[in-house]
Amino acid sequence: MLKSEEVTKVFGATKAVDQVSLSLEQGHIYAMLGPNGSGKTTWMKMAAGLCKPTSGVVKFEGEPVGVNSRAHIAYMSTEPYFYTWMSLRDVGRYYEDFFTDFSMMRYAELLNSFELDESMKIKNLSSGMMAKAKIAVTLARDATVWMLDEPFNGIDLLARDRIKEAIIAAASPDKLLLMSSHLVEEMETIADRAVFIRSGKLVKEVDIETERIENGCSIADEYRQIYGMQGGAEA
Amino acid sequence: MKNLIKYEFRKTWSTKLIILVITACMELAFLISLYLDKENFTGISAVFLTFLAFGGILFIGIQSILTMHQDMNTKQGYMLYMTPNSCYKILGGKVIENGLSIFVAGAFFFVLGVLDVTLLFGHYGQLDQLMEFVTDLMKQLRIETTLDWRLFLALTVSFLCGWLSTVMTAYLADVVATCLLNGKKHNGWIALLLFILINWGVTSLQQVCTRNMSWIPAFYWDAAIAIGFSVLMYLATAMLMDRHLSV
Repeated sequence: MLKSEEVTKVFGATKAVDQVSLSLEQGHIYAMLGPNGSGKTTWMKMAAGLCKPTSGVVKFEGEPVGVNSRAHIAYMSTEPYFYTWMSLRDVGRYYEDFFTDFSMMRYAELLNSFELDESMKIKNLSSGMMAKAKIAVTLARDATVWMLDEPFNGIDLLARDRIKEAIIAAASPDKLLLMSSHLVEEMETIADRAVFIRSGKLVKEVDIETERIENGCSIADEYRQIYGMQGGAEA
Repeated sequence: MKNLIKYEFRKTWSTKLIILVITACMELAFLISLYLDKENFTGISAVFLTFLAFGGILFIGIQSILTMHQDMNTKQGYMLYMTPNSCYKILGGKVIENGLSIFVAGAFFFVLGVLDVTLLFGHYGQLDQLMEFVTDLMKQLRIETTLDWRLFLALTVSFLCGWLSTVMTAYLADVVATCLLNGKKHNGWIALLLFILINWGVTSLQQVCTRNMSWIPAFYWDAAIAIGFSVLMYLATAMLMDRHLSV
Protein backbone atom coordinates (compact mmCIF):
# COMPACT_ATOMS: atom_id res chain seq x y z
CA MET A 1 0.00 0.00 0.00
CA LEU A 2 2.77 2.44 0.96
CA LYS A 3 6.16 1.74 -0.51
CA SER A 4 9.45 3.56 -0.09
CA GLU A 5 12.00 2.81 -2.81
CA GLU A 6 15.58 3.78 -1.93
CA VAL A 7 14.45 7.10 -0.54
CA THR A 8 17.13 9.59 0.47
CA LYS A 9 16.72 13.10 1.83
CA VAL A 10 19.68 15.42 2.26
CA PHE A 11 19.59 18.75 4.12
CA GLY A 12 22.81 20.62 3.36
CA ALA A 13 25.56 18.27 4.55
CA THR A 14 23.20 16.05 6.58
CA LYS A 15 21.62 12.86 5.25
CA ALA A 16 18.32 12.76 7.19
CA VAL A 17 17.06 9.66 5.36
CA ASP A 18 19.48 7.31 3.65
CA GLN A 19 18.36 4.82 1.00
CA VAL A 20 15.28 3.65 2.91
CA SER A 21 13.36 0.89 1.15
CA LEU A 22 10.26 -0.18 2.97
CA SER A 23 6.90 -1.71 2.16
CA LEU A 24 3.96 -1.11 4.49
CA GLU A 25 0.85 -3.22 4.05
CA GLN A 26 -2.79 -2.57 4.82
CA GLY A 27 -4.43 -4.20 7.84
CA HIS A 28 -1.51 -3.43 10.14
CA ILE A 29 -0.54 -0.91 12.77
CA TYR A 30 3.13 -0.04 12.42
CA ALA A 31 5.35 1.51 15.06
CA MET A 32 8.21 3.52 13.58
CA LEU A 33 10.92 3.63 16.20
CA GLY A 34 14.22 5.38 16.59
CA PRO A 35 15.91 8.04 18.68
CA ASN A 36 15.70 11.77 17.95
CA GLY A 37 17.15 12.71 14.59
CA SER A 38 16.93 9.19 13.21
CA GLY A 39 14.84 10.31 10.22
CA LYS A 40 11.33 9.17 11.23
CA THR A 41 9.67 12.56 10.83
CA THR A 42 11.44 13.32 7.55
CA TRP A 43 10.38 9.96 6.11
CA MET A 44 6.76 10.55 7.20
CA LYS A 45 6.76 14.03 5.70
CA MET A 46 7.95 12.60 2.40
CA ALA A 47 5.24 9.92 2.55
CA ALA A 48 2.68 12.66 3.25
CA GLY A 49 3.86 14.53 0.16
CA LEU A 50 5.01 17.57 2.17
CA CYS A 51 8.67 17.06 1.54
CA LYS A 52 10.41 16.04 -1.70
CA PRO A 53 12.98 13.22 -1.55
CA THR A 54 16.46 14.05 -2.84
CA SER A 55 16.39 10.67 -4.58
CA GLY A 56 14.12 7.64 -4.61
CA VAL A 57 10.36 7.60 -4.49
CA VAL A 58 7.53 6.95 -2.03
CA LYS A 59 4.53 5.29 -3.68
CA PHE A 60 0.95 5.00 -2.52
CA GLU A 61 -0.94 2.19 -4.25
CA GLY A 62 1.68 2.11 -6.99
CA GLU A 63 1.74 5.85 -7.75
CA PRO A 64 4.26 8.40 -6.43
CA VAL A 65 2.78 10.34 -3.54
CA GLY A 66 1.45 13.77 -4.44
CA VAL A 67 -1.81 15.62 -4.86
CA ASN A 68 -3.93 12.47 -5.28
CA SER A 69 -2.43 10.54 -2.38
CA ARG A 70 -3.02 13.46 0.00
CA ALA A 71 -6.75 12.79 -0.33
CA HIS A 72 -6.19 9.30 1.15
CA ILE A 73 -3.29 9.79 3.57
CA ALA A 74 -4.02 11.54 6.86
CA TYR A 75 -0.83 12.90 8.38
CA MET A 76 -0.44 14.31 11.85
CA SER A 77 2.73 16.26 12.41
CA THR A 78 4.41 16.25 15.79
CA GLU A 79 4.62 20.06 15.75
CA PRO A 80 1.53 22.28 16.15
CA TYR A 81 0.49 23.38 12.67
CA PHE A 82 -3.01 24.88 12.92
CA TYR A 83 -3.49 28.52 11.98
CA THR A 84 -3.45 30.50 15.22
CA TRP A 85 -6.44 32.63 14.21
CA MET A 86 -8.65 29.54 14.16
CA SER A 87 -10.88 28.00 16.80
CA LEU A 88 -11.22 24.21 17.04
CA ARG A 89 -14.52 24.57 15.15
CA ASP A 90 -12.70 26.43 12.35
CA VAL A 91 -10.12 23.63 12.17
CA GLY A 92 -12.94 21.11 11.67
CA ARG A 93 -14.56 23.26 9.00
CA TYR A 94 -11.21 23.65 7.26
CA TYR A 95 -10.75 19.87 7.11
CA GLU A 96 -14.37 19.46 6.01
CA ASP A 97 -13.76 21.93 3.16
CA PHE A 98 -10.67 20.13 1.88
CA PHE A 99 -11.10 16.45 2.72
CA THR A 100 -14.14 14.55 1.51
CA ASP A 101 -13.43 11.75 4.01
CA PHE A 102 -13.66 14.09 7.01
CA SER A 103 -16.57 13.69 9.41
CA MET A 104 -17.51 16.72 11.50
CA MET A 105 -19.62 14.44 13.71
CA ARG A 106 -16.72 12.10 14.43
CA TYR A 107 -14.51 15.14 15.08
CA ALA A 108 -17.01 16.51 17.62
CA GLU A 109 -17.17 13.08 19.32
CA LEU A 110 -13.41 12.84 19.55
CA LEU A 111 -13.08 16.41 20.87
CA ASN A 112 -15.72 15.60 23.43
CA SER A 113 -13.93 12.44 24.53
CA PHE A 114 -10.74 14.49 24.98
CA GLU A 115 -12.71 17.11 26.97
CA LEU A 116 -12.11 19.84 24.41
CA ASP A 117 -14.66 22.42 23.37
CA GLU A 118 -15.12 23.44 19.74
CA SER A 119 -15.18 27.11 20.68
CA MET A 120 -11.62 26.99 22.08
CA LYS A 121 -9.12 29.21 20.28
CA ILE A 122 -5.99 27.55 18.94
CA LYS A 123 -3.77 30.28 20.36
CA ASN A 124 -5.08 29.54 23.86
CA LEU A 125 -4.54 25.75 23.82
CA SER A 126 -1.91 24.16 26.05
CA SER A 127 0.53 21.73 24.42
CA GLY A 128 -1.46 18.75 25.75
CA MET A 129 -4.74 20.17 24.41
CA MET A 130 -3.08 20.86 21.07
CA ALA A 131 -1.84 17.27 20.87
CA LYS A 132 -5.37 15.98 21.52
CA ALA A 133 -6.86 18.36 18.95
CA LYS A 134 -4.38 17.17 16.30
CA ILE A 135 -5.29 13.53 17.01
CA ALA A 136 -9.02 14.32 16.89
CA VAL A 137 -8.91 16.12 13.54
CA THR A 138 -6.66 13.46 11.98
CA LEU A 139 -8.69 10.47 13.18
CA ALA A 140 -11.95 12.17 12.12
CA ARG A 141 -10.88 11.46 8.56
CA ASP A 142 -11.84 8.10 7.09
CA ALA A 143 -8.44 7.88 5.44
CA THR A 144 -6.79 4.81 3.92
CA VAL A 145 -3.48 5.57 5.62
CA TRP A 146 -2.97 7.37 8.92
CA MET A 147 0.48 8.56 9.83
CA LEU A 148 0.80 9.90 13.36
CA ASP A 149 4.11 11.44 14.32
CA GLU A 150 4.64 11.21 18.08
CA PRO A 151 0.91 11.02 18.95
CA PHE A 152 1.55 10.65 22.69
CA ASN A 153 3.84 13.63 23.09
CA GLY A 154 2.76 15.86 25.97
CA ILE A 155 -0.32 13.79 26.76
CA ASP A 156 -1.28 12.55 30.21
CA LEU A 157 -1.87 8.88 30.99
CA LEU A 158 -5.69 8.96 30.93
CA ALA A 159 -5.86 10.88 27.66
CA ARG A 160 -3.26 8.50 26.23
CA ASP A 161 -5.60 5.59 26.96
CA ARG A 162 -8.43 7.35 25.12
CA ILE A 163 -6.14 8.05 22.17
CA LYS A 164 -5.11 4.41 22.07
CA GLU A 165 -8.78 3.39 22.03
CA ALA A 166 -9.47 5.83 19.17
CA ILE A 167 -6.49 4.53 17.19
CA ILE A 168 -7.48 0.89 17.66
CA ALA A 169 -11.08 1.76 16.70
CA ALA A 170 -9.83 3.35 13.48
CA ALA A 171 -7.83 0.28 12.47
CA SER A 172 -9.38 -2.13 9.96
CA PRO A 173 -8.20 -4.72 7.40
CA ASP A 174 -8.23 -2.18 4.57
CA LYS A 175 -6.43 0.58 6.47
CA LEU A 176 -2.84 1.22 7.39
CA LEU A 177 -1.70 2.98 10.54
CA LEU A 178 1.83 4.18 11.13
CA MET A 179 2.96 5.85 14.33
CA SER A 180 6.27 7.08 15.53
CA SER A 181 7.05 7.42 19.20
CA HIS A 182 9.74 7.39 21.82
CA LEU A 183 7.39 5.55 24.16
CA VAL A 184 8.38 2.10 22.97
CA GLU A 185 6.51 0.08 25.59
CA GLU A 186 3.38 2.12 24.93
CA MET A 187 3.61 1.31 21.23
CA GLU A 188 3.89 -2.39 21.94
CA THR A 189 0.32 -2.40 23.21
CA ILE A 190 -1.07 -0.99 19.94
CA ALA A 191 1.20 -1.90 17.04
CA ASP A 192 1.60 -5.31 15.46
CA ARG A 193 4.66 -4.43 13.40
CA ALA A 194 7.72 -2.34 14.14
CA VAL A 195 10.16 -0.51 11.92
CA PHE A 196 13.50 0.53 13.43
CA ILE A 197 15.40 3.46 11.98
CA ARG A 198 18.85 4.65 12.96
CA SER A 199 20.81 7.57 11.48
CA GLY A 200 18.42 7.74 8.54
CA LYS A 201 18.81 4.08 7.64
CA LEU A 202 16.29 1.28 7.99
CA VAL A 203 17.72 -1.18 10.52
CA LYS A 204 15.01 -3.76 10.88
CA GLU A 205 11.33 -4.47 10.28
CA VAL A 206 9.71 -7.00 12.60
CA ASP A 207 6.37 -8.63 13.28
CA ILE A 208 5.96 -7.95 17.00
CA GLU A 209 3.99 -11.10 17.82
CA THR A 210 6.33 -13.38 15.86
CA GLU A 211 9.33 -11.78 17.53
CA ARG A 212 7.77 -12.35 20.94
CA ILE A 213 6.82 -15.99 20.29
CA GLU A 214 9.86 -17.12 18.33
CA ASN A 215 12.63 -15.13 20.02
CA GLY A 216 10.96 -14.23 23.31
CA CYS A 217 11.84 -10.64 22.55
CA SER A 218 9.67 -7.56 23.08
CA ILE A 219 10.14 -4.45 20.95
CA ALA A 220 11.59 -2.70 23.98
CA ASP A 221 14.24 -5.46 24.09
CA GLU A 222 14.81 -5.04 20.34
CA TYR A 223 15.11 -1.29 20.83
CA ARG A 224 17.71 -1.76 23.57
CA GLN A 225 19.67 -4.16 21.40
CA ILE A 226 19.63 -1.87 18.38
CA TYR A 227 20.18 1.51 19.99
CA GLY A 228 21.76 0.54 23.30
CA MET A 229 25.14 0.12 21.62
CA GLN A 230 25.21 3.77 20.58
CA GLY A 231 23.90 4.98 23.94
CA GLY A 232 20.87 6.48 22.30
CA ALA A 233 18.14 4.33 23.86
CA GLU A 234 15.13 6.38 24.86
CA ALA A 235 12.76 3.56 25.76
CA MET B 1 -10.18 26.70 -5.75
CA LYS B 2 -13.10 28.45 -4.04
CA ASN B 3 -11.96 27.14 -0.64
CA LEU B 4 -8.34 28.08 -1.27
CA ILE B 5 -9.38 31.66 -2.08
CA LYS B 6 -11.69 31.72 0.94
CA TYR B 7 -8.93 30.74 3.36
CA GLU B 8 -6.39 33.06 1.75
CA PHE B 9 -8.86 35.85 2.44
CA ARG B 10 -9.42 34.62 6.01
CA LYS B 11 -5.67 34.80 6.66
CA THR B 12 -5.53 38.49 5.77
CA TRP B 13 -8.98 39.89 6.40
CA SER B 14 -8.15 41.46 9.79
CA THR B 15 -5.55 43.80 8.23
CA LYS B 16 -7.98 44.69 5.46
CA LEU B 17 -10.58 45.48 8.09
CA ILE B 18 -8.10 47.74 9.90
CA ILE B 19 -7.37 49.61 6.63
CA LEU B 20 -11.12 49.99 6.07
CA VAL B 21 -11.75 51.30 9.60
CA ILE B 22 -8.89 53.84 9.39
CA THR B 23 -10.19 54.95 5.96
CA ALA B 24 -13.70 55.37 7.39
CA CYS B 25 -12.34 57.50 10.25
CA MET B 26 -10.32 59.69 7.89
CA GLU B 27 -13.27 60.03 5.51
CA LEU B 28 -15.49 61.07 8.40
CA ALA B 29 -12.91 63.67 9.46
CA PHE B 30 -12.75 64.91 5.86
CA LEU B 31 -16.55 65.23 5.56
CA ILE B 32 -16.98 66.94 8.94
CA SER B 33 -14.18 69.44 8.28
CA LEU B 34 -15.65 70.11 4.82
CA TYR B 35 -19.08 70.71 6.32
CA LEU B 36 -17.65 73.02 9.00
CA ASP B 37 -15.47 74.84 6.42
CA LYS B 38 -12.26 74.00 8.28
CA GLU B 39 -9.94 74.21 5.28
CA ASN B 40 -6.80 73.13 7.14
CA PHE B 41 -8.41 69.98 8.50
CA THR B 42 -9.97 69.26 5.11
CA GLY B 43 -6.55 69.51 3.47
CA ILE B 44 -4.84 67.36 6.09
CA SER B 45 -7.50 64.63 5.94
CA ALA B 46 -7.41 64.68 2.10
CA VAL B 47 -3.62 64.19 2.16
CA PHE B 48 -3.99 61.37 4.72
CA LEU B 49 -6.67 59.72 2.55
CA THR B 50 -4.36 59.88 -0.47
CA PHE B 51 -1.50 58.27 1.47
CA LEU B 52 -3.90 55.71 2.88
CA ALA B 53 -5.10 54.76 -0.60
CA PHE B 54 -1.57 54.09 -1.87
CA GLY B 55 -0.34 52.70 1.45
CA GLY B 56 -3.35 50.40 1.82
CA ILE B 57 -2.94 48.93 -1.65
CA LEU B 58 0.81 48.50 -1.18
CA PHE B 59 0.28 46.88 2.22
CA ILE B 60 -2.25 44.37 0.83
CA GLY B 61 0.42 43.20 -1.62
CA ILE B 62 3.18 43.13 1.01
CA GLN B 63 0.99 41.14 3.37
CA SER B 64 0.31 38.62 0.63
CA ILE B 65 4.07 38.15 0.13
CA LEU B 66 4.56 37.70 3.89
CA THR B 67 1.72 35.14 4.04
CA MET B 68 3.26 33.23 1.13
CA HIS B 69 6.63 33.26 2.94
CA GLN B 70 5.03 32.06 6.17
CA ASP B 71 3.18 29.25 4.38
CA MET B 72 6.47 27.95 3.00
CA ASN B 73 8.67 28.44 6.03
CA THR B 74 6.58 27.65 9.11
CA LYS B 75 4.72 24.54 10.25
CA GLN B 76 1.41 26.29 9.51
CA GLY B 77 2.23 25.62 5.86
CA TYR B 78 1.27 21.97 6.50
CA MET B 79 -2.36 23.11 6.70
CA LEU B 80 -2.15 24.30 3.12
CA TYR B 81 0.24 21.85 1.50
CA MET B 82 -1.28 18.67 2.96
CA THR B 83 -4.58 19.39 1.22
CA PRO B 84 -5.14 17.53 -2.06
CA ASN B 85 -4.39 20.58 -4.20
CA SER B 86 -1.59 21.04 -6.71
CA CYS B 87 0.92 23.87 -6.31
CA TYR B 88 -0.63 25.49 -9.41
CA LYS B 89 -3.99 25.63 -7.63
CA ILE B 90 -2.50 26.73 -4.31
CA LEU B 91 -0.55 29.56 -5.94
CA GLY B 92 -3.54 30.35 -8.16
CA GLY B 93 -5.69 30.78 -5.05
CA LYS B 94 -3.14 33.19 -3.59
CA VAL B 95 -2.82 35.20 -6.82
CA ILE B 96 -6.57 35.44 -7.39
CA GLU B 97 -7.26 36.48 -3.79
CA ASN B 98 -4.46 39.03 -3.81
CA GLY B 99 -5.30 40.31 -7.31
CA LEU B 100 -8.97 40.69 -6.36
CA SER B 101 -8.06 42.41 -3.08
CA ILE B 102 -5.73 44.85 -4.86
CA PHE B 103 -8.27 45.64 -7.58
CA VAL B 104 -11.24 45.89 -5.20
CA ALA B 105 -9.21 48.17 -2.89
CA GLY B 106 -8.09 50.15 -5.95
CA ALA B 107 -11.68 50.52 -7.19
CA PHE B 108 -12.85 51.48 -3.70
CA PHE B 109 -10.20 54.18 -3.28
CA PHE B 110 -10.73 55.38 -6.87
CA VAL B 111 -14.48 55.85 -6.35
CA LEU B 112 -13.88 57.42 -2.94
CA GLY B 113 -11.29 59.75 -4.46
CA VAL B 114 -13.61 60.84 -7.31
CA LEU B 115 -16.46 61.45 -4.85
CA ASP B 116 -14.26 63.41 -2.44
CA VAL B 117 -12.72 65.56 -5.20
CA THR B 118 -16.20 66.28 -6.61
CA LEU B 119 -17.46 67.17 -3.12
CA LEU B 120 -14.42 69.29 -2.37
CA PHE B 121 -14.55 71.42 -5.49
CA GLY B 122 -18.33 71.37 -5.61
CA HIS B 123 -18.26 72.85 -2.13
CA TYR B 124 -15.71 75.53 -2.97
CA GLY B 125 -16.92 75.91 -6.60
CA GLN B 126 -13.43 75.78 -8.09
CA LEU B 127 -13.39 72.43 -9.86
CA ASP B 128 -13.48 73.86 -13.42
CA GLN B 129 -10.64 76.28 -12.73
CA LEU B 130 -8.48 73.54 -11.24
CA MET B 131 -9.08 71.17 -14.19
CA GLU B 132 -8.20 73.95 -16.65
CA PHE B 133 -5.07 74.81 -14.69
CA VAL B 134 -3.84 71.18 -14.63
CA THR B 135 -4.69 70.67 -18.35
CA ASP B 136 -2.71 73.83 -19.25
CA LEU B 137 0.17 72.63 -17.14
CA MET B 138 0.16 69.26 -18.94
CA LYS B 139 0.11 71.01 -22.32
CA GLN B 140 3.13 73.06 -21.29
CA LEU B 141 4.84 69.80 -20.35
CA ARG B 142 3.88 68.52 -23.85
CA ILE B 143 1.68 65.79 -22.42
CA GLU B 144 -1.00 65.63 -25.07
CA THR B 145 -3.93 64.21 -23.23
CA THR B 146 -7.18 65.36 -21.78
CA LEU B 147 -7.44 65.32 -18.03
CA ASP B 148 -10.63 63.45 -17.27
CA TRP B 149 -11.85 60.52 -15.23
CA ARG B 150 -10.94 58.06 -18.04
CA LEU B 151 -7.30 59.06 -17.74
CA PHE B 152 -7.39 58.63 -13.96
CA LEU B 153 -9.02 55.25 -14.39
CA ALA B 154 -6.40 54.12 -16.92
CA LEU B 155 -3.59 55.32 -14.66
CA THR B 156 -5.15 53.55 -11.67
CA VAL B 157 -5.53 50.27 -13.58
CA SER B 158 -1.96 50.59 -14.88
CA PHE B 159 -0.67 51.18 -11.32
CA LEU B 160 -2.61 48.18 -9.97
CA CYS B 161 -1.37 45.87 -12.74
CA GLY B 162 2.18 47.03 -12.09
CA TRP B 163 1.82 46.38 -8.38
CA LEU B 164 0.38 42.90 -9.00
CA SER B 165 3.34 42.12 -11.25
CA THR B 166 5.74 43.31 -8.49
CA VAL B 167 3.99 41.03 -5.97
CA MET B 168 4.30 38.11 -8.42
CA THR B 169 8.02 38.85 -8.80
CA ALA B 170 8.40 38.77 -5.01
CA TYR B 171 6.56 35.39 -4.93
CA LEU B 172 9.03 34.01 -7.48
CA ALA B 173 12.08 35.37 -5.64
CA ASP B 174 10.80 33.94 -2.34
CA VAL B 175 10.11 30.53 -3.88
CA VAL B 176 13.58 30.46 -5.46
CA ALA B 177 15.12 31.32 -2.06
CA THR B 178 13.04 28.65 -0.28
CA CYS B 179 13.18 25.83 -2.83
CA LEU B 180 16.54 26.14 -4.53
CA LEU B 181 18.72 28.15 -2.18
CA ASN B 182 17.37 26.91 1.16
CA GLY B 183 20.21 26.42 3.60
CA LYS B 184 22.71 28.04 1.25
CA LYS B 185 24.74 31.06 2.29
CA HIS B 186 23.37 34.47 1.30
CA ASN B 187 20.10 33.02 -0.07
CA GLY B 188 18.15 36.11 1.04
CA TRP B 189 20.47 38.42 -0.86
CA ILE B 190 20.32 36.25 -3.97
CA ALA B 191 16.51 36.33 -3.84
CA LEU B 192 16.57 40.12 -3.44
CA LEU B 193 18.95 40.43 -6.39
CA LEU B 194 16.66 38.23 -8.48
CA PHE B 195 13.69 40.38 -7.49
CA ILE B 196 15.52 43.58 -8.53
CA LEU B 197 16.72 42.01 -11.81
CA ILE B 198 13.24 40.83 -12.86
CA ASN B 199 11.70 44.18 -11.97
CA TRP B 200 14.42 45.94 -13.95
CA GLY B 201 13.67 43.64 -16.91
CA VAL B 202 9.95 44.43 -16.77
CA THR B 203 10.57 48.20 -16.54
CA SER B 204 13.10 48.11 -19.41
CA LEU B 205 10.66 46.25 -21.65
CA GLN B 206 7.93 48.73 -20.79
CA GLN B 207 10.24 51.62 -21.73
CA VAL B 208 11.24 50.02 -25.06
CA CYS B 209 7.59 49.43 -25.98
CA THR B 210 6.59 52.96 -25.00
CA ARG B 211 9.43 54.43 -27.08
CA ASN B 212 8.78 52.35 -30.21
CA MET B 213 5.00 52.36 -30.12
CA SER B 214 4.34 55.89 -29.01
CA TRP B 215 0.91 56.05 -30.66
CA ILE B 216 -0.37 53.80 -27.89
CA PRO B 217 -0.47 55.56 -24.48
CA ALA B 218 2.28 54.35 -22.14
CA PHE B 219 -0.05 53.19 -19.39
CA TYR B 220 -1.76 50.69 -21.73
CA TRP B 221 1.62 49.16 -22.50
CA ASP B 222 2.60 49.17 -18.85
CA ALA B 223 -0.59 47.36 -17.89
CA ALA B 224 -0.35 44.82 -20.73
CA ILE B 225 3.30 44.00 -20.04
CA ALA B 226 2.68 43.78 -16.29
CA ILE B 227 -0.16 41.29 -16.86
CA GLY B 228 1.93 39.27 -19.34
CA PHE B 229 4.83 39.08 -16.86
CA SER B 230 2.46 38.18 -14.02
CA VAL B 231 1.25 35.15 -16.03
CA LEU B 232 4.83 34.10 -16.84
CA MET B 233 5.91 34.47 -13.24
CA TYR B 234 2.88 32.55 -11.99
CA LEU B 235 3.81 29.61 -14.25
CA ALA B 236 7.51 29.70 -13.28
CA THR B 237 6.72 29.97 -9.55
CA ALA B 238 4.13 27.16 -9.57
CA MET B 239 6.47 24.90 -11.56
CA LEU B 240 9.29 25.46 -9.07
CA MET B 241 6.98 24.79 -6.13
CA ASP B 242 5.61 21.66 -7.76
CA ARG B 243 9.07 20.19 -8.34
CA HIS B 244 11.13 21.42 -5.42
CA LEU B 245 9.06 22.77 -2.55
CA SER B 246 9.46 20.97 0.80
CA VAL B 247 7.61 22.50 3.74
